[in-house]
Amino acid sequence: MKFEHCIRCTICVENCPVFRVNPAFPGPKQSGPDAQRFRLDGEKSVDQWVQLCIQCKRCEVACPYGVDPAEIILKAQIKYAGEHLRGPANYLFANNYYLGALGSLASPIANRIAATDFAKRTFNLMGISTYMPFPRFNLMSMNKGRRKVGKGVRKVVFFYGCFLNFNRPDVGRTIRELLVSLGLEVVLPHQVCCGLPALGNGDIELARRFASKNAAILAEYINKGYDVIYGCTSCGLTLAHDYPGILNVAGGKKVAENSYNVSEYILKLIDEGAINPTFGPVETRVAYHIPCHLRAIGIGYPAARLFAKIPGLSFDVMDDHCCGLSGSYGFKRKNQATALAIGNQAAALIKESGAQVLAADCGACRMQLAHLAGLTALDPSEIMMASLRKGASTP
Amino acid sequence: MIAGITTSMIRTDVVIIGGGATGCGIARDLALRGIAHYLVEKDDFAAGATGACHGLLHSGGRYVVTDPVAAKECIEENMILRTIGQKCVEVTGGLFVRLPGDSKRFRDRFLKSCEEVGIPTEVLSPTRALDLVPSLNPVLEEAIKVPDCSIDPFRLCMLNAFTSRQKGGGILTHHKVIEIVKERGRCVGVKAQDQFTKQIKEIRARVIINATGAWGAKVAALSGSDVPMTLSKGSLVITNHRLTNMVINRLRPPSDGDIIVPNEAVCLAGTTSITVDDPDAIEVLSREVDIVVGEAERMIPTFRTTRMIRAYTGVRPLLKADGGDSRAISRGFKIINHDNGMYSILGGKLTTYRLMAEKMVDAIMRDFGLDTPCQTAEKPLDGQDELSGYPLSKRLKDISGVICECELVSRDEVERVINRIGTKYIGDIQHRTRLGMGPCQGGFCTYRALGIMHDMGRVTSEESMRVLREFLQRRFKGIRPALWGDQLREEQLVESIYLGILSMEKDA
Amino acid sequence: MSVIDYDAVVIGGGMSGLMAGIHLLEQGYTVAVVSRGDPAVCLSTGCIDVCGTGMDPLAGVDALPDEHPYHVTGKEKIRAALDKFSDIMTDVRLPYAGRAEENRAIITPLGTTKLTCLVPRTMETAPRKPDEYIHVVSFNGLKDFYPSYITARRKNTGFSLFDAGVTTTMGIAARFEDRAFLKEFIAWLKGLEIPDGKLAFPAVMGLEHPLSIMQEIQSQVERWGFEIPTLPPSLPGIRLFKGLKRSFQGKGGDVYWGSPIASVERSGKHIEAVTIETKGRSTRVNGRAFILATGSFVSGGLFALRDEIQETVFGLSVASPGPRDDWFNRDFFTPGHAVERAGIRVGKDFRPSEDSLENLFVCGSIISGSEVMKYGCGHGLALTTGLAAAESCAEVLK
Repeated sequence: MKFEHCIRCTICVENCPVFRVNPAFPGPKQSGPDAQRFRLDGEKSVDQWVQLCIQCKRCEVACPYGVDPAEIILKAQIKYAGEHLRGPANYLFANNYYLGALGSLASPIANRIAATDFAKRTFNLMGISTYMPFPRFNLMSMNKGRRKVGKGVRKVVFFYGCFLNFNRPDVGRTIRELLVSLGLEVVLPHQVCCGLPALGNGDIELARRFASKNAAILAEYINKGYDVIYGCTSCGLTLAHDYPGILNVAGGKKVAENSYNVSEYILKLIDEGAINPTFGPVETRVAYHIPCHLRAIGIGYPAARLFAKIPGLSFDVMDDHCCGLSGSYGFKRKNQATALAIGNQAAALIKESGAQVLAADCGACRMQLAHLAGLTALDPSEIMMASLRKGASTP
Repeated sequence: MIAGITTSMIRTDVVIIGGGATGCGIARDLALRGIAHYLVEKDDFAAGATGACHGLLHSGGRYVVTDPVAAKECIEENMILRTIGQKCVEVTGGLFVRLPGDSKRFRDRFLKSCEEVGIPTEVLSPTRALDLVPSLNPVLEEAIKVPDCSIDPFRLCMLNAFTSRQKGGGILTHHKVIEIVKERGRCVGVKAQDQFTKQIKEIRARVIINATGAWGAKVAALSGSDVPMTLSKGSLVITNHRLTNMVINRLRPPSDGDIIVPNEAVCLAGTTSITVDDPDAIEVLSREVDIVVGEAERMIPTFRTTRMIRAYTGVRPLLKADGGDSRAISRGFKIINHDNGMYSILGGKLTTYRLMAEKMVDAIMRDFGLDTPCQTAEKPLDGQDELSGYPLSKRLKDISGVICECELVSRDEVERVINRIGTKYIGDIQHRTRLGMGPCQGGFCTYRALGIMHDMGRVTSEESMRVLREFLQRRFKGIRPALWGDQLREEQLVESIYLGILSMEKDA
Repeated sequence: MSVIDYDAVVIGGGMSGLMAGIHLLEQGYTVAVVSRGDPAVCLSTGCIDVCGTGMDPLAGVDALPDEHPYHVTGKEKIRAALDKFSDIMTDVRLPYAGRAEENRAIITPLGTTKLTCLVPRTMETAPRKPDEYIHVVSFNGLKDFYPSYITARRKNTGFSLFDAGVTTTMGIAARFEDRAFLKEFIAWLKGLEIPDGKLAFPAVMGLEHPLSIMQEIQSQVERWGFEIPTLPPSLPGIRLFKGLKRSFQGKGGDVYWGSPIASVERSGKHIEAVTIETKGRSTRVNGRAFILATGSFVSGGLFALRDEIQETVFGLSVASPGPRDDWFNRDFFTPGHAVERAGIRVGKDFRPSEDSLENLFVCGSIISGSEVMKYGCGHGLALTTGLAAAESCAEVLK
C-alpha cells in the first residue's frame, strides 16, 4: 500500500496548484493518503470534492516517499464518476476525440458558431467556461495528410494527439518537418485520442477502448523497429504511464517503453552520434514553461538541453507552476476561477522574466499561457526548426 | 484557592471509583434506576484496560472451549450491545481461521461448544473466506464465521456517562481518590483530588463501589480491605490502516497475538500475556511487538510490511488463581461485598460490562431495599445522535474545517468539546473526537487543538506548555516501541517540529 | 533505456545537494540533480541554523564532539559556505540577513524563542529585546498559526485578525500575490489602532516575492514588520528551496525530479551510473563523479528496518546506533536520540570511509554524527558540507 508511506510532511500540499486557490479542495494529502484510510471496499463514494483535483501530478513528483496522491485521487474520481450522474461537460470532454473530429470536419461553420454569443450562452449552460475562446478547429487536420514521409536511418511513428490533429495541425506539421529534416522516416498511422480526456472525466472504459486501439496500432510498428514520438506531453504521460498502468491494455508496456518526447528523441540521436545537426542562431528570450505532465514523466527537460545548443537563444526554465488549464479541466465552468487563478500565477512569472516568447511542449499549456501572458507560445520544435533552418543556410 | 485543601463537600447515595466501562455502566444503570451517584476517575474515561484492549465485542468464540459460562455471557451481551449502541458498535462479523498445523480436534470442539452455548457459526471454505477478507493468508485450511463486532471503548464509556449526567449524576474525571473516609469502621465517603488544580473534594455516600479494574487492590487497600487479584499485562499494536474489515481470530486455544480487530480506520492486533505486579509501572517491550506482529502475520501476511503507528498495553484485572497460565483464569467476574460500605467488582471484560453493572446495581438495590428493575438491556444508549457511526466512508462527505486530517476531526467538533467539558487536557479532546489518533498521532493537530484552546482563553501559557509537554511524553511512550520504517520517519519529522521549529525544551 | 551523460550527478535536491551542484556548475562542469521528491528544507523555517548551542555559532562549533562533520570542514568553510549562500539568495531576489559570528533569537509560533544564524530579510526586523512591543497580525481561522500562543507567553504583545477568506498558509500566501488583495489588506492595517511597535505576521506574505510585499506594507503603514516561521507547509522553506533550485537551473544545471533510483552501476571502486525509474522506461544517468546528498530519515537517505538501518541508494555501510531498543531515549525532550547519530562515516575528502569508492562524495545530514536536532545545525551543516564535498569532487573531475 503506497499510501501508508505518507508521513504527512505536507510537501504535496505545498505543490498543489488547486489547494492554493480553491479552499473547497482539501489538497492532495487529505484527498489522497489521509482519506484513503476511510475508503472501504464496497461502499458508495461520497467524496465529491475529489473532482476538484486537476491531475497535474505535481504532488507525485514532489512526494519524497512514493505515495502517488494523484493516482489515489484519480481512482477515487473514476469511482465517484462511475457511481454518480455526470454533467454534460464531462460527457463532451471525455469524448473530445469525436468532438474534435466533428469540429474539424465542420470547421468552417463550427468555428464561426463557437464564436457567437449564442454558443457562449449554450456553453455556459452546459457547464463549459468561456473566459478564453474555445480552441479553433482546423479543416486540415493531421490525419488528412500523407501517411508516410521522409527516409532515413531511423523510423518513427508520430503520435500527434488530438490538439495538434484537430486544432493546430500547423504545429504538428512543423514537428513532422523537423523529424524529416533530421533524416528520419516518419509515419502517421490512423490513431485515436490517447484516452486521457476520458480518464480525466471519469470514463475509464472509454479511455481503455481508445488505449487498446492505439496500443495495437503502435505495437505493430514497434515490432517492425519503429519508435513512437508523441507531440504532446500529456499524451506522452498517458502512453508511458497509464497504458501499462491504470488502463492496463495489451501492448501497453511495449508502447510505454518505446515512446519518446520529440526533444528527448533528438537528443538521444545526437548522443548516439546518429545525427549531427547544425543549430543556427535564434536571437530571442524564451520563457520555457515546463508542462506538469513532462515533469511527471521524469525524463528531465530535454528541450532545455537542446535550447542550450542554440546560439543566441536565452531561456528561463519555469517548472514551478501549473498553467491551470489541464486539458478540459479549465474548460469546465465550475473550475474556471481555479484555472484562471492558477494560470495567472504562472503568467505573472513569465511576464516578469522579460521573455519575448514562451515555449511549452503541450498545446493546452500554450493556449492558456499565451492568453494570460499575452505572448506568442511556441512548441519547442518550432524554435528548433527555426534554428535548423538558419543552421542549414549558414554553412 | 490553596492547593491540597478540601474545598467542597458533596453528599450522594453511591460513589463509583473508576471510569472504565464497568464504572460508567454502573453510573448509567444507577441513573436509570433513579439513584443519586458520583463517578470519580483519576484520568479520563477508559484510561485502564477498557481503552487498552482490542475493542472487540466478543461473540464468545474466544472462550467457548475453555470457559463456556463466560462465552454465553458474551454472546448474549453482544446481541444486546449491537442493538443499544449502534453508533459505537460496528457489526463487522468475525472469522476464526485455521492454519496448517492448527488442531482439527480443537476445531471440532469449538464447533460443538458454540452449538451448546448458542453462538451461531458458519464454516467457510478457504475461497469463501478469501472472498470476505482478501488479505487472509491463502494457505488457510478453513474459516468459521461468528458474530464478532468491533466496539469503540471510549465512545461506549462516554455514552454511558452521558445518561448519568443527564439524570443528575456527577462525573469527576481527572480526580484521583486519595483517601477513603471511614467512620466507626464503615466507609462513608472518598476524598478526590483534582489532578490539574490539586483541589480536594470530599464526597459522602451510603455505598462506595470500587470499579477500578487493575487498580482494584490499590483502592481496596485504602479502606483496609484486601482483594485477591492477578494482574496480566497484554500488549497490542495499531496499524496505519485497516487490513481487514472483519475481526480475525486464530482457531486454536487462546494464545499470544491471535486476534486482529478492525477498529475505526485502523486494525488492533494482540495480545501478549505477562503477569505483572504494579499497573502503574508497565510498558510495551519491543520483544512483545515482534511477537504480536509475527503472529498476526501468520493470519494476514501483509502485516509484516504494514506500518505500525503505535503500541500500547493494558492490564487485565483477573480473579486470583493459584499459579499457572493467566490465560487459563476465568474471564468471569465477581462482586465482593467488603461488608464495610464498600463493594469491589473484579474480573470480567469489556463485552460483559453491562451485565456486570446490572448485577452490581442489583446488589445495591437490595441494600437500599428498592426493587426498580434494570433497564440497560432495552434502552438504547443516549447521546448517539451526534456520532457519525458506520460505515467509515460516509465521513468523507463533508471534510471542511478539518484540523485533524488523519481522523477527519473538524475545528467545530473540537470547539464543541472544549465548550462542553471545559477541559484543559488534549487527551480529553482525543478521546471524544479521535483527534490525534491517526498515523501522525497528534503530531500536527495537537498544536492546533491547543491553539484553539488558547484562542478561546481556556489555558494560560504555563498551562498549555505543561499540557503539551505531558501530551508529547505520553505520545512518545506509545509510539516508541513501534519506531522503525515510515513511523520512525514521521516521528523524526514531528520531533523537528516540536523541538526545532517550535523550540520546545525539557523545562520552560 | 535512455542514457544521459554528466560530469557530476548529485543525488538529492535539498540544501546540500543544490549547494554542491551550484558550486560544480560554477567550476564549469555539467551537473544533474536527481531527486526522488522535494527536500525537507521545504518543511523548515527557512532560517539557516549553523549551531544553536549558544549565542556564537562558531564558538559553539568548537565545543561539538570530535566526530561531528563540522570538524572535518573547519570553521573557515562554514564562513565561506554562508557567504556563498548569501550571494546566491541575493541573486534570486530572496536575500538573507545575518553573519556567521552571531546567532539571533527568533519568535516561534508557540511563543518561545529559537536561536538561528541567517534569516530571510522578511524576518530581519524581529525584535532583539524581549520587552519591545509587537503586534501580531494574523488571519481568521488560520489553521497553523495561533497568535494567542505568542500573546500569552510574551509581554507587551497584542494581536489583530484579518479575514482573508481562506484558512491555510498556502491559500493566504497565494492571495498576497494578488495586488488587489494586498491593497485591501494594507487599507485594513491602516485602520487599526495599535500601540507603537513592530508588526509580526505569520510567514504567509506571498509565494514568490515576500520582501517586496513586506516593503510595500512598511512604506504604507510606516511600521517595521517581520515574518514568523510557521509549521509546515512553510513558505520560507519553500521559497528557500525554490530559490536555490532556480539558481542551479539558471546556471545550466539539469534536474530529474520525482523518480526513485532503481539501480546503481559500479565497476570496482568506481560508480558509473544511476538508473532512475522514469515513466515508461528507465533513464540511465552517467556521471564521472557522484554526490550523495539524500539526507537522513525524514528525507529518505536512511531507512530503518526493524533490526537494521540502511542507506537507500548505494547500500553504503551505516554507522549503527545499536539495537532497536536503544535507538530512542525514553524521554522525548532529552536532546539527541542515538538513532540520530546513524549515518555514513566520511573521511577528510568526504568520501565514505567504510566503502572504498573513488568517485562518490557524501554531504548533508546523512553524514554520521551530524545530530542536527541536538546541535541546531541543520542548514548550516548542509551548506558547508555541500560546498566541501563539491570541492573534493571537483578534484576528481579535473
